[in-house]
Amino acid sequence: MKYIEPASLPEALEILSADDEARCLAGGATLVAMLNADLVEPSTLIGLRRIDELAGISVSGDHIRIGATTTHAQIAGDDRLTGNAAVVRDAARQIAHSAIRNMGTIGGAVCHADPNADFPGALVAANAVLEAAGQSGRRQIPADEFFLDYLETSLEEDEILSAVMVPVEPVGARGRHLKFSRTHGDYATISISLVLAINSGACSHARVAVGSAGPAPVHLAEVDALLTGSDLSGETIKQAGQKLMEAADPVDDVRGSAEYRRMIIPGLLQRAVDELR
Amino acid sequence: MSTNMAENQQINPIIGASVPRIEGPEKATGRAVYTDDITRPGMLHAALLGSHYPHARILSIDTSRAKALPGVKAVLTGADLPLNYIGMFIKDQLPLARDKVCYSGEPVAAVAAVDLATARQALRLIEMEYEELEPVTDVEEALEPDAPVIHEKRDEYPTMYELPEEPNAICFTEFMEGDPNTAWDKCDAIVEDEYLVPAQYHMYMEPSSTVAEVDGSGKVTLWSSTQGVARSQMYTALALGLPMSKVRVIAPRIGGGFGGKCEFTNQPITALLAQATGRPVKLTFSREDDMTMMKRRHGGKIYMKTGAKKDGTLVARDCRIILDGGAYADESPEVSPVAAFFSQGPYRIPNMRVEAWSVYTNLSRASAFRGFGNPQATFASESQLDDLADQLGMDPLELRLNNALEQDDKFFCGKTIEKATMRACLEKVRDASGWAAKRSGGRPAAPGKKRGIGMAGMSHISGLAGAGANVLLNEDGSVTLNCGAVDIGQGSDTIFTQIVAGALALDMDQVNFAAPDTDSSPYQFQTSASRNTYTIGRAVKKASDDVRDQIYRHAGEILECDTNDLELRQGGVVGVKGVPDAALPFIAIAGRALWQEGGPIMGTHNWLYTPQDRMDPKRMLLRGFALMPDGIGIFTFGAQVAEVEVDEVTGQVEVLEYWAAHDVGKAINKTSVEGQIEGGIVQMLGYALTEEMLWDNGRMINPTMMDYKIPGMADAPYKIHSLLIEEAEESAPFGAKGVGEICAVGPAPAIANAIKNAVGARVAQIPATPERVLTAMQSADDAD
Ligand SMILES: Cc1cc2nc3c(=O)[nH]c(=O)nc-3n(C[C@H](O)[C@H](O)[C@H](O)COP(=O)(O)OP(=O)(O)OC[C@H]3O[C@@H](n4cnc5c(N)ncnc54)[C@H](O)[C@@H]3O)c2cc1C
Repeated sequence: MKYIEPASLPEALEILSADDEARCLAGGATLVAMLNADLVEPSTLIGLRRIDELAGISVSGDHIRIGATTTHAQIAGDDRLTGNAAVVRDAARQIAHSAIRNMGTIGGAVCHADPNADFPGALVAANAVLEAAGQSGRRQIPADEFFLDYLETSLEEDEILSAVMVPVEPVGARGRHLKFSRTHGDYATISISLVLAINSGACSHARVAVGSAGPAPVHLAEVDALLTGSDLSGETIKQAGQKLMEAADPVDDVRGSAEYRRMIIPGLLQRAVDELR
Repeated sequence: MSTNMAENQQINPIIGASVPRIEGPEKATGRAVYTDDITRPGMLHAALLGSHYPHARILSIDTSRAKALPGVKAVLTGADLPLNYIGMFIKDQLPLARDKVCYSGEPVAAVAAVDLATARQALRLIEMEYEELEPVTDVEEALEPDAPVIHEKRDEYPTMYELPEEPNAICFTEFMEGDPNTAWDKCDAIVEDEYLVPAQYHMYMEPSSTVAEVDGSGKVTLWSSTQGVARSQMYTALALGLPMSKVRVIAPRIGGGFGGKCEFTNQPITALLAQATGRPVKLTFSREDDMTMMKRRHGGKIYMKTGAKKDGTLVARDCRIILDGGAYADESPEVSPVAAFFSQGPYRIPNMRVEAWSVYTNLSRASAFRGFGNPQATFASESQLDDLADQLGMDPLELRLNNALEQDDKFFCGKTIEKATMRACLEKVRDASGWAAKRSGGRPAAPGKKRGIGMAGMSHISGLAGAGANVLLNEDGSVTLNCGAVDIGQGSDTIFTQIVAGALALDMDQVNFAAPDTDSSPYQFQTSASRNTYTIGRAVKKASDDVRDQIYRHAGEILECDTNDLELRQGGVVGVKGVPDAALPFIAIAGRALWQEGGPIMGTHNWLYTPQDRMDPKRMLLRGFALMPDGIGIFTFGAQVAEVEVDEVTGQVEVLEYWAAHDVGKAINKTSVEGQIEGGIVQMLGYALTEEMLWDNGRMINPTMMDYKIPGMADAPYKIHSLLIEEAEESAPFGAKGVGEICAVGPAPAIANAIKNAVGARVAQIPATPERVLTAMQSADDAD
């Protein structure tokens, strides 16, 4: 197995498209563990850490740009991530333990696309757009369309995720990533990512996604619409929770049965709303 | 020379002091040497292949491709090994399966290669052909007449006791006192329930690890992560067909054991690989290998029925315990009897019958684990007492106080209680926790949560088996202690050093603790049964006293005085009482002994823990207590209180605060005792709430730290109050008793009882996962 650390994105893309068996290495939190367990055997590892353009957070106009190799810890610690983007920061803060947060990157987390991870739901709730770089240019993929299935994204094999763009709008919004797990630092049994804007008692914006509830974040436009414009009464939230629960398709595993996971969605949604109100 | 009372009056202040761990700095700075840190010249690396199937006949094994892989030095299968069965009470296992596998993960082949990657690659080249057999995974199904038989040759194995008839039974025990059949008529309240307890993994930080080397004479030396060098030596010798004189075992620093590294782990197979290759071999398990190939706590089912009078007097109990011993017997023949023995708890129940089984299943091996059967029985017993109190409308702590064993009572089976401190523990934990106020409402819960408080009482033992210690006076007046005891992280090296320092009025750095090594250490059973401080400590103390007496003899001759007039002064000085100038440093005594008169000064002591009395056959029916009808230690007592919050949406339980009152006799090192108590509670928080090994049709589905969850720092209660009761035990060194296990007996029921207090629902199956708690809450709601 070869290891290369290109200094630029074009260079990295060239290596990636020349070799079907090459793979990007970001923080390595997941990939190195997979290598150790013999789950993957890439011919070449392309280390991304020297590519400056992939690193760091910047605010430009209507969005916040989070470079793919930005670590969870950097995201968790950046107080520019407010309003709509607060849900992403809140998710970063709750990933695993500090050792993992110091290593793992948002690019690695979303490209791995573990449905139990925290960023996928948060990015959907924040209406984020993922920027994919290929040799022929860049394309923008809404988070809703990025996460396809268990460990599967709409990123092409010869593309590298370059950044995550989180809209600044709506400005007065608040975000919460409510994570419920067996122990501190475990993956979520269920997570609720919620962005709400409330103007004089009424909800003017709502986006909610449920993580660990199926192969990809569960997001229903219908539910956002139900909440938006409502007074977020207990009855409304119950209805919203019911719909999300019906749409959820979780698995039975060591973290809980599918039935249990579905059952707690409405209550956790209510809690997330209460915490934001 | 003197009574304990007299000695106690002049206890050196080092006894009771929170002296820092002697190995603390090296551990904190990463300089401690564990087995895996050891490298020998020309050393090979080994890995084992585990069986895919839980129950299958091995039809063929083809190792030719693995042997042909460059870098591979040996590939062994069961057929290559001598037919030397090993096991503690039943010799039923071989280092590698032969003919048949009895659990998924059971080692079937071993490879030694130039590096670990090559060894692991070779494992993938081994071709196995199996004929699958139906696995037995449920304890009750195992006892059914038509159950598949796991050990067809069970009755041919060398066994130390009489086996029950049921072919999958490992052992059966029955104790009966009074007349439990007719006593039910006298009861005003009766509760009956079925309790389920999980298989818990030891999760020591350091997976099992051994380095083995054979010298030119054929003598095998092992460095191993073990709880007892003499035990590892004995099993390795047995497996290899060598006399113990040809096997040497050394224990480097150990990263935890909790019972899982008692008896043997991977020592025999590592030694066999070293023999086969003629080169040193290291075998360190991955976490997954350790979880699938090694040992665990017994899961199982407990049926229990308890009756009481209106005033809360306990009258009768009937109990049936069926523990899952897994594929091989290991310590099972003692674990289920201990569970039976403690199923009465520290209370008077005049009419009591208990039967306990250990059964073979096609799951991994169950073994010793902190508490040794007692946590299982106590989970049932203490849960049931709370339900009984609820039915009687009594405070559960009052109910326990009403029935607590007192000094004149006998323990179950007619055993004498050395110091009845149950009441003291209950009162202490009641007062410290603010029980009454919290029980009747207390502080409000956080939004969306319900708050509750619960408690458990418990008893256990401290003792067991043989211990020896040697204390040598060095030429410069310092001393070396050699007792062969393995510190598995609980701090016994420091405790023994304190005992020697305390007995001889030396400073800590004047005492050298010699590492356990079967070539030089006196016999030591192993680190188990809460025995190090009490049983080994006593040998250490008496060996030190022996040195003191020898020093006094010399000093008396030199100073021309009666030895009764002598005293020890701090730092290695003997002097005449009341005469400050009449003093001799130990160096002078050592010099005289070595060069002038008498010979080297060596203190020694050995003893076998021997109970005061036998179980009383007149008092009760006794059947099948495998080995230790006389008792396994002196009694210890404790009481614990847990305060929890239960999430109304998810059912998740958070333990907020914890109080634990324990009778420790005497805390030799207060911080260390508190560390034991806190560690036991947090470990069993996992047992209570999150930890369970899961199998799907015999294959383990969570053998990783990602899937099997132990509590971390953030999951521990914000405060654990360790409340020490120090009533010196006469037979103990400075009065000290062991507390390593008893602290782990109470948390599961205390937490389950707190859950019930919070939400009104009984969770009779642990771990009390959020899902189980929520389900119990819903059925309690439905019942209302
Ligand atoms: C013990 C532990 C606990 C964890 N707990 C949680 C948790 O609670 N919640 C949670 O959300 N996550 C959790 N994780 C996952 C964690 O967030 C990982 O950091 C993340 O999944 C991977 O990030 P990484 O930068 O380390 O990626 P890597 O491991 O380097 O890569 C992961 C995958 O992404 C690919 N990749 C990486 N970067 C790019 C890119 N820019 N473009 C294209 N492909 C790329 C790699 O080729 C690889 O396939 C946990 C991980 C561990 C080890």
